Parts: sequence; C-alpha cells; structure tokens
Amino acid sequence: MIPSDGDRSRAVDRRRFVKALGATGLAASGSLAGCLSRGSAGPQTIEIAANTDVKENVGEIQAKLHEVGLSEDIELSAIAGVQSSGSRKQQYNRWLSGNLERPALFMMDSGWAIPFILRDQLVDIAEIRPELATTIQEEYFEPFVRSIEDRTGGLYGVPLFPTTGAMLYRKDLVKQAGFSPERNNWATEPLSWQRFSEVTKETMQATDTRWGFSFQANSYEGLSCCDFKEFTGSWGGSYFGAKENLFGPVGERPVTVDSQPVVDATRMVRTFIEGDTENALESVAGDISPRAVLQWQEETSRRPFSNGSVVMHRNWPYAIAIAGAEDAFGRDLGVMPMPYGVTEDEAKYEGYGGTTSSLGGWHVALNPNSPKREMAFEVMEAMTQPAMQLFLFELLGWLPPRPALFETERMRQVPVMGRYVETLRMTVENSTPRPVTVAWPQESTKIAQQANAAFSGDGTPSQRMQTLKEQLQAIEEASERKDAAETRGGTGGPSPSETGTATSGGG
Amino acid sequence: MATETGRDRSLSLSSPGRWIEGLSDTQFAYLLLTPCLILFGVIAFWPLVRTFQMSLQADLLYGAERLGPFVGFENYVELLTGERNAALPRPFFDPSQIFTSALTVTIIFTVVSVFFETVLGFGQALILNQEFRGRRWARVAIILPWAVPIVIQGMIFFLLFQPTIGFLVEPLQQLGVFSSTPQANSVESLVIVIVADVWKTSAFMALIILAGLQSIDRSLYDVADVAGASKFERFRTITLPLVLPSVLVAMLFRTIGAMRVFGLIETVSSCSTVPSLSCLVVQAFSSSRYASAATVAFVTAAIIGLVVSVYIVKFADVEGGGGF
Repeated sequence: MIPSDGDRSRAVDRRRFVKALGATGLAASGSLAGCLSRGSAGPQTIEIAANTDVKENVGEIQAKLHEVGLSEDIELSAIAGVQSSGSRKQQYNRWLSGNLERPALFMMDSGWAIPFILRDQLVDIAEIRPELATTIQEEYFEPFVRSIEDRTGGLYGVPLFPTTGAMLYRKDLVKQAGFSPERNNWATEPLSWQRFSEVTKETMQATDTRWGFSFQANSYEGLSCCDFKEFTGSWGGSYFGAKENLFGPVGERPVTVDSQPVVDATRMVRTFIEGDTENALESVAGDISPRAVLQWQEETSRRPFSNGSVVMHRNWPYAIAIAGAEDAFGRDLGVMPMPYGVTEDEAKYEGYGGTTSSLGGWHVALNPNSPKREMAFEVMEAMTQPAMQLFLFELLGWLPPRPALFETERMRQVPVMGRYVETLRMTVENSTPRPVTVAWPQESTKIAQQANAAFSGDGTPSQRMQTLKEQLQAIEEASERKDAAETRGGTGGPSPSETGTATSGGG
Repeated sequence: MATETGRDRSLSLSSPGRWIEGLSDTQFAYLLLTPCLILFGVIAFWPLVRTFQMSLQADLLYGAERLGPFVGFENYVELLTGERNAALPRPFFDPSQIFTSALTVTIIFTVVSVFFETVLGFGQALILNQEFRGRRWARVAIILPWAVPIVIQGMIFFLLFQPTIGFLVEPLQQLGVFSSTPQANSVESLVIVIVADVWKTSAFMALIILAGLQSIDRSLYDVADVAGASKFERFRTITLPLVLPSVLVAMLFRTIGAMRVFGLIETVSSCSTVPSLSCLVVQAFSSSRYASAATVAFVTAAIIGLVVSVYIVKFADVEGGGGF
C-alpha cells in the first residue's frame, strides 16, 4: 500500500510538473514575442545608425528634411551608437554580416567604408539613381567622394560631411605674447613647424600657460589615419611613397615609413613632448606638449584646451564649434591650417609637403537588406540638398561636401563656424584621404603602435620606423598573396600584377 | 457518443502520461534534461563546430563570400609559428614581447587576477561569516562592486588613470609606481586592468566561498573546541578542507571568465595596449579576416578546455564528486 501510494503521488507530481512546464514555456514564448515586436520601428520610420549629435537633434533634422522635399509621412529615427569610430565599424560589421534589416541607413566613416564596399555589403547608388550619383561625383569634393566609390565608378553612399584636421589656437594669448595673427594672415598662410613651435613656446612662457600644443597621440586609428599622417605629410613623407599609391596596389607599392621625412616628423613630435632628447629635431622648439598626449584622443585632448590650459590644439571642425562659441573663447579662438615642415617643391614624395590635413568625414550608406529601400533613398536624396547641407553646417558644424557652398554668403554668416570658412576651405583643399585598402586595418594598428612607442621614447624614431617598415611589408605581402589567389579563382586568371590593382577599391 | 469520444481522448492522452510514470528516476531525469541539452547543443556545440570549420578555410578579403578555400590546418600552423602575426594587431605569442603577446598577456592576467581574487574573496568570506554588528551592511559593501556594470567599472578605472582627469596619476607617479601616462604603457595598463578586475570580482569569489563556509556543520567546531584545537588548527583541519570544493568551483568559473577577458580591456585600456586572446578574435573579425578570427577563437576555446580539464582531473578527489 505504501509504495503504491508513493508511486501515485510521484506520478501526479510528474504530470503536474510537465503541464506546468508546458504552460510556463507558452507564457515565456508569448512574452518573448511581445518583447521582440515591441522593439520594431513604425512602417514609415527610417532608422539611421548615427551619432549622439544626430540623436539629440533628430527632430530638427527631420523637420528640415521635410522642408527640403522629404515626404511628410516619412519619419527619421536615430541610433546614437558608440562614440568610438572603430567600435562603430565593428558594430556595423556585425549587423551587416548578420544580414539584419535594420537600421536602413548607416552613417559610415569615410575611413572604413571601402572594406564594406569590397564585401558587397552596401547598395550602389549609381545603379539605382544614376542621376543622383552623377551630381555627387561632379559637384562634391573629389577626394571625399573617392572614399565611397569603387574603381568602376560605383557610388555606395551619399557623402554627408568632410572633416579635416585644423589647428585651433588662442588668439588672445598669442597676441598677449606679442604676435599678430591677423597681420600675418595665419588663417590662410600656413606657418612652418619651426615658426609654430617658437610661437607656441614663447606664448606659453609669456602668458604662463601650462601647455603649448595638444593633439592626439594615443595608440588608435586617429593617430595612424590622421595626426601622424599630417605630421609626416607636412615633412614631405608618406607611408607608401607617392600620393598615387594611397589606395594600392597592395604588395606592389613601396613602404616608405623608414624614409628621412617620416623619421624627422617622428623626431619632431618626440621633441615637442620631451624637449631636448637624444634624437631631438634641432629646427623646432621643444617641450611644448604634455606627455599625456600619448593617452589622448579627440575629446581628452580638447578638454584641456577648452579649460584654457593649452595654446595650440589640433582637432576636427567640431572642436571649432565648441571652442568658438560665445560662451567659450568666442572671437579669441583662432584657426589656422596645419603647419608645414617642407614646401611641396621640397617634398621627397610627390603630392606631399606644405600644409597637409587628413581628410575624414562621414557618408550615409544604405543597408541592402532593408525592406524600406525606397523610403531610405528618399531620405538620402533629401540629404544632398544644398539647403540641408547648409542647415547641418549651422546646426552641427558639419562642413558641406560641395565646394560651391563655401562661396555662399550664408555659410559665412553662420555663427561661429562662419568666421573660419576660408581656413576650413583651405584645409579641405589640402587634404589627403587615409590610405584605405583591405590591408589598412592591420596596417593602421601597427602604425599607431609604433608611432606611439616612438613618441614615448620607447626606442629611437629610426628604430621604430624600421620595425614598422618590416611589419607593413609583411602585411602588404600577406594581403597581396590572398588577393592574387582570390582574383585568379574569380575571373579566370589575370596576372598577379593586375590583381594587385583590385586592392585599390576606393581608388 | 460524446461520452465515448471523451473517454477515447482521455485514454489516448493518458498513454504518454503512463509512459512517463513507467520511467525510472534516472530516465525521467534525462527526459527532463533533454530539451536543455538540445538547446545547449544548438547554442554551444554548433557554434564550436562551425568555428572549427571556418578555421580550416582561408581568409578572403574581397567579394560577398566571407571565406576562402579549404586550407586544412594551415591557419593553426601559421598562428602557432608566428607567421600569422602580420595579420593580427598584436602577436599571438612572441617570447620577446611577453607583455604585448596575446597568449602571455591572457595567462598573466588570468593567473594574477584569479590568485588575488581568491585570496581577497576568501578573506572577505571569512569576515562575512563572522557574527558582528552591521554584518548586513558589510556584506552590501563587499558585494557592491559585483553589481557595477562593466562599462561603468571600465570608465571609473579609465578616468582614474587619465592625466589631468584622474587623481591617481600624479601621486602614483611621485611614488614611482607608474609613469605619467600609465595607459600608454602595456605593463602598467595590464596592472590597471588586473586591479579593476580584482576590485570587481573578489566579491563574486567571496559570495561563493561564503556559501561554502555557511554549509559547514557548526558542531564540528564545537568538537574542535572540546579537543582544545587552536584557531589555526580549526581552520586547517575543518574550514579549509570543507570549503575547498567551493573555492575550486569559484576559481574554475573565474579562470574561464578571465581567459576570455575582452570588455574590461576595451573599456579600461585598449586591445592594442593590452591584447588578450579575445581581443585578437574581435580585431581579426572586424578586419574581415574571419578564418584567422575563427582560428584564434578555437585555440582560445581549446586552451580554456585544457585548463578546465586540469582543474577537474586534478581536483576531482578533493571535491568528492559533488560540485563539478
């Protein structure tokens, strides 16, 4: 009796357990479905993966888009994304590799759009809206458009705004130290690094300012793509010889990071940080930058400048909008093109020397998996309207991608940024895009690591650049070999020299 | 008719019920575990198999295809011999660069952080196991770091060691502990990441060890008192042997977690300065070198598997079959 009772009670327990499990499962799946469906955007809403600026101003941006012709029933919703451009690239890579349908639009850094193009992960606008593509290719800044094109003229996004490196400075401090930026026309006549460093040092001392020059030298993409490229370019040096090699062919172009101009540029930065070191560059004044630049990216380097602790500061136009605001430095903020080491005629590699700014910026690209392609196109088209571009310049300090707009009176009248239009135009005209190829992600990491180490005094500049040369050559060779194998398989076998040009991508 | 149909239905419904009732306890346990095992197989084993499969193909940098042709174990050979280092942000293993090689950085991080977490966690658990006024608040204080999200934790330590922002940089520099830019230096950054991990995860160790301590039969201590055992003898003969299985379980969990470290490094420092194995996977993946990423991922999983096996085999006798 007792065992049978025990069995029965256990059997009931089991049945109840299984029933309860089933009910729980149903309830859980129901609520999960609820969660998933709640997250979806409305049928007329286009989601754009963008940044905090867009997210915070999405209402105003949407209103302006409607004003310039976007259908009133289409709404824009922004995802702020992470601040770091590199992390955002990884995020997009995961989304696009996973064939997600949302977001429909991506704000893509011009520095890493090409790998997505080479992977067929973006929609070619030239195929679907040829007239729009032609307008962009004819009317926009040419080097900027190239960073979203393929070799055959395909256009994989709408250029949104270019950014270029510029030198911000405290006009009040340099004047106090006895210099005359206006009379000497610093706004459009670049200083040499020698003159720049002397002015900085004298101003620091005369005005008792803590630091002279802040920039970004952390071991990250921003160093290799931008700051270090500007320094080396201004001395007539380059990572890969002449400018025509920027986009390849990978494996066939020379690696020139150990050349004298690049080593000199490295020594110059080392001198700025440490002063009279073993490998100082005699021609520049030293000890004007804090060692902290080795850890600084854009924002960390801008804050000390905004706090009044720095005389000169290299950054992107967004920093001009912040530092030039009336409640910041206002008209005491000066902006000048990046200084130069040698003139263009003296440059060792063709296309370099003189004032050199790195060209960055963002495009808007379309997700090929989006079911809302037509509506997304409409948003992209509205973004190409000159009125929209001027509005974004006014609202967010985004430079228009059309040179013609720099001539307009309206652009000059924009508060704060309007004061610096001449300088900004000059920086865009003297800009160089970053050398994006399939090998660039690895090369960029190595360049940043070695430049950062050289700046910090861990090894001499020439040793570090020699190591870097070996690393870059290894990457170039590894990338070329893969390219050749892949293209031979895909096209029935052109020669390896032809396949090398395939790496030019955005070229 | 209706009654008969109802009876038929109840008969047909009851047959699975009868079948369930007829199962032995072990069979029933496996029956209940089946959905879980299937789910586990789908979310754990399939990705593992797929990763292995991917690691046997070549990297492919162009076109819609993500992977190149089958290359056998070439990726593994190149990774382990250092030939693949050019394609990776930092070397996988280079004896001349211990603090910037992923394998050695991961091992140093794991050994040092798990050691300090175990020692501190044990100490915290012993304190929390005492009866004293305000014990509840002490528990909250010790466990609090465990509740801090990893990004906030990362931001705290990132800012603490930022010159001009964090208040720790100058004093530590004056004491000669760190340079003025600790986050630009791989060794110092690794120390910061380890400190950040110990700060947070000691609490986790303390929790698990505390649970072990509380399961010890108090009467054993009474016997020890009667026998005249000193405090140290009580600890050595009663507390330590009985709590050891919990400590080993905690160490096992932490070791697995530490060998996969990624988020903390990305938030406190950067993968370029402190490269872990997971950093290599993520960076190779984001450079579109999917096969290389899969190879490093599979090697990482294999190393973790090896370490786990050592724990299980080596300490199975200590543990006595209850926990692992």
